[in-house]
Amino acid sequence: MIKCVVWDIDNTLLDGIYLESTGQPPDPDQELLAVLHTLSGRGILHALATRNPAEAVDYVQRATGVRFAAAECGWDSKADAIGRIADELSLGTDSLAFIDDDMLERAEVAAALPQVLVLTPEDAIQAPDWPDFSPDVVTSEGRRRADMYAARQRRQAEAASFGGSRDEFLRRVGTRIVIGLATQEDLPRLRELSVRTHQLNSADVPLTEQELGTLTGSAEHMLVIVALADDFGDDGLVGGAIVERNGFRPWLVPVVMMSCRALGRGVLDALLAWMCLVAANGGAPELAVPCLVSERNLPMRLALAAAGLRAAGGETSPDGRAIFKRSLEGGLPELPEWVHDATGLR
Amino acid sequence: MGTRRDGPAVSASPAALADELRRLLVEVTGRADLADLPTDTPLFGAGAGLDSLTGAMLLRRVHREFGVDVAGEDMNLDAMETLGTLAAFIARR
Repeated sequence: MIKCVVWDIDNTLLDGIYLESTGQPPDPDQELLAVLHTLSGRGILHALATRNPAEAVDYVQRATGVRFAAAECGWDSKADAIGRIADELSLGTDSLAFIDDDMLERAEVAAALPQVLVLTPEDAIQAPDWPDFSPDVVTSEGRRRADMYAARQRRQAEAASFGGSRDEFLRRVGTRIVIGLATQEDLPRLRELSVRTHQLNSADVPLTEQELGTLTGSAEHMLVIVALADDFGDDGLVGGAIVERNGFRPWLVPVVMMSCRALGRGVLDALLAWMCLVAANGGAPELAVPCLVSERNLPMRLALAAAGLRAAGGETSPDGRAIFKRSLEGGLPELPEWVHDATGLR
Repeated sequence: MGTRRDGPAVSASPAALADELRRLLVEVTGRADLADLPTDTPLFGAGAGLDSLTGAMLLRRVHREFGVDVAGEDMNLDAMETLGTLAAFIARR
């Protein structure tokens, strides 16, 4: 049962960044403000873990009307900050939830403190219905989400005590990645991924089901889907890509996107390797992936670099993205044995 | 998500930096064996086994502790080839 929720401030509790405001700091996010008050009403405590100066804490207390039981401001890891909050409030980390918009902050906390329930702001809006937050009535969706998070925490705990390489861990927990081509029934989920995956999306452009649907019937395109599961649970469809098949000319990948829930589980690497192999099989001399360059999508750029793609000579796509590419002649990546190709194309 | 701090100027030698980077690598991966990682082993793939998540966590720690924004300065992330190339990149800043 959750007894205290630890909140990030910038772009989480506040609808913007505290230090970047001129004059009045940003207002609280209205949906999360409602969550804050709902949980307070159930006797759940709140705390802050932020990289802002202490004045931000005073501001957030005034702006939300909520008293925070503890606040940690500083530049060391948020996992350490949460550990100090747990000590100060004499709570076990298994009774804490942590909410942050930044996926790397979430990943650091989840890795260091696998007992903490780590949530995105979007998740947090739903969380008051989950059994962990002791609502009067638990909906079946709330139960399902709580089970999914419990599975994730068990996986994190296993990873934290494992000590071997990432690949050894993926093998040990029975990871299964299935790469296939989308059918009509995958379109709603792909649309949702295109809208929600800002941090792991090479284009960050929302796509409609209609736009996606035309691609499933196009001989020049492949609409690729990736599903993920392991012994802890089935995450379903977590990634997608659009591939332009250009015969013996370079093949182009206008969109690669993945849910941040799949980060660190080999999905992007598998998808990029698979695209290299399929394009090479189809006769392409080169694979090109235009990608936005921002601080937030760093994991996407790292995956491109790890797959051997480079942005050479400042070449950009018409919409201003850097074009990452690699030759497909020799030295192709291998697919690990837990990646299954359901297309027969590789 | 917060704003970035300007870290301390880097004055350490590449060898001392490589030791610091090994410490960060062990922390972000949870793998004690990386404390002895040679400077010329590839960081990605079969070498040190970094992936996009642990690589990003490493670069964020580097930004915080050394004040060097590798991701911002090196679009292709060639500095992430090996521990040696990363230490050299940081030492040059």
